[in-house]
Amino acid sequence: MKLSAIRPIALVLSRELGLTVLLLIGVSFVVFIILYLSPGDPFSVLLEGQLFSAETRAGVREALGVPKAWYAQYISWLAGMLHGNFGTSIRTGLPVLSEMLRVGFNTLILTIGSMFVTVLIAVPIALYSAVRGTNKITWFLTMFAYVISALPVFWFGYIVLYIFMHKFGLFPLAFGGLSSQKFSWLYALLPIFVLGIGNGTISEVIRSLRAEMGRVMAEDYIRTAKAKGASVWKHSFKEGLLIPVTEIIASKIPFILGGAVIVEQVFNWPGMGRMAWQAAQDRDYPVIMGIAILAAVFVRMGSLFQSMVYVAVNPRASKERE
Amino acid sequence: MKSYSQIDGEIGDFSDLPFWKKADIVDLAYVGYGLLIVTLVVLSYALGSFNLMSRDPQDIDLSLMMAPPGTAGHMLGTDFMGRDMFSRLIVGIQAYFLPGLLAICIALSFGCILGVLAGYRGGTFDTIIMYVTNLVDSFPRLVLILLVIAAFKPNIYYIMIVVGFTNVPVVSSLVKGKILFLKQKNFIEADAALGLPTRIIILKHILWHNCRTLLIIQATLGMAEAILMETSLSYLGFGVQEPTPSWGNMVQSGANYFMQGKFWPSTTPALAILFTILGFHLLGDGLNNILEGKRRGT
Repeated sequence: MKLSAIRPIALVLSRELGLTVLLLIGVSFVVFIILYLSPGDPFSVLLEGQLFSAETRAGVREALGVPKAWYAQYISWLAGMLHGNFGTSIRTGLPVLSEMLRVGFNTLILTIGSMFVTVLIAVPIALYSAVRGTNKITWFLTMFAYVISALPVFWFGYIVLYIFMHKFGLFPLAFGGLSSQKFSWLYALLPIFVLGIGNGTISEVIRSLRAEMGRVMAEDYIRTAKAKGASVWKHSFKEGLLIPVTEIIASKIPFILGGAVIVEQVFNWPGMGRMAWQAAQDRDYPVIMGIAILAAVFVRMGSLFQSMVYVAVNPRASKERE
Repeated sequence: MKSYSQIDGEIGDFSDLPFWKKADIVDLAYVGYGLLIVTLVVLSYALGSFNLMSRDPQDIDLSLMMAPPGTAGHMLGTDFMGRDMFSRLIVGIQAYFLPGLLAICIALSFGCILGVLAGYRGGTFDTIIMYVTNLVDSFPRLVLILLVIAAFKPNIYYIMIVVGFTNVPVVSSLVKGKILFLKQKNFIEADAALGLPTRIIILKHILWHNCRTLLIIQATLGMAEAILMETSLSYLGFGVQEPTPSWGNMVQSGANYFMQGKFWPSTTPALAILFTILGFHLLGDGLNNILEGKRRGT
């Protein structure tokens, strides 16, 4: 590739990166504002039951170097985060960042695994109905997708647990690690499958994939490929499959992460979702703030990845987007 | 790019057939089922709020705990405290009905305002609204709700306000798209040339005549979203609290007995959630296919 070919791509990517940074700053601001507006800021939670008069509180505030103005508070909090200081959990007293990194990996496995499950279910159905058009089988498949999209994932999790308990004699005591049981690796896969099927996005994913594929199959270049006997699959793969799949999956990451909160609860999966649930119950501000920001980072990374795929597959796009 | 795609609605508009005769039979079935569910929900809501049920949902009968469905007097059985499942299901609708309507109102009203600003004014507004849209989409909804719960308190109306605001970008982008489409057809230029005040153009010609169906569709989908969020959060223990029934906390409290093979206390509300959300989804998509002229398949 010549330099002139790489330059526009680099330009687009640097702009996407800039946008990501801007959005993450916005995310941190939203999180801060919600906490700022809440009755009783984290500081007064910390001092709860220790100091009573307003003057002593103000004194401690000053002594600890807590800025008064909201923007100063925000900036010092943001600067702390950039240095990796997300504060310490009110409940456990441990630093939030290390706790988050510990559980964040589990959630990453869960979400990425279930994304694959969703794609593995949605793509064949979408391909089939895009190629075959409307018939009884596609109608049945569409209906099936609608039903599993409306399935409450928590109840679905119980069904799967019940089946596995009675079929394989597995008990949902711990995940993964304990390999004394014969099927314990299956137990680690269960939540991934449950979230992949039950995250409520399958019917939308199928619909948008089918529409995109149908559009690409009707393009002139596919007709030309067919006419000269070339592989239709090869010609339609990039625009008809790769781009739509990455696009729709990247836009569904928030839903999958949201579903992860519930699935982790059902399966006792030690991830961010469970941690967020615990933190919301204890009103553990630093933890839930950290998780909200980490989750937003996941979402933004997903969409950054999507635009990278888009530009890599279709370098022409870098010119269109200017 | 999409140079060969047809402009939506351009062809069908010439025939005089009413829309239900042009529609696909499958879409009509979808809408029919959806309307059935909506009617059932509204009727049950009225039944519950006027206390017209045969049994009190809070009535504890310790001699009839965990009665299976079909027991005399308890059509859907009883839960672990001997409370009637059927009346609890009906009262459970109250947990999401009004809060869900609030979420829909927020999503539609703010979505319309932002959509009109982005589409009609454009320019800087458009850029800002794009940014806000991306910002809102960066948060997993459930995590944002948990944050709000931690900051304020577990209250279903707070939750629904968040649900409403997170749905704003969808509505605003649809309204904006519609306005750009109308602009492309010189519709708005013609309006302005007739000397109509902007107020009339926006409120009557754009929102009422052209975005009406779109907004109804978004309202049904928004209700499905609200039900999903309410049940999920009640399941997690943050929404409606026991002893007030909600479908979510009914599933949760029944789950302890699930592993013992007693399925109905959690399955009945779960199926209610399933069929209701399905109904709202099908209604929204069916209406979309019929009224907005989106063709299925291709």
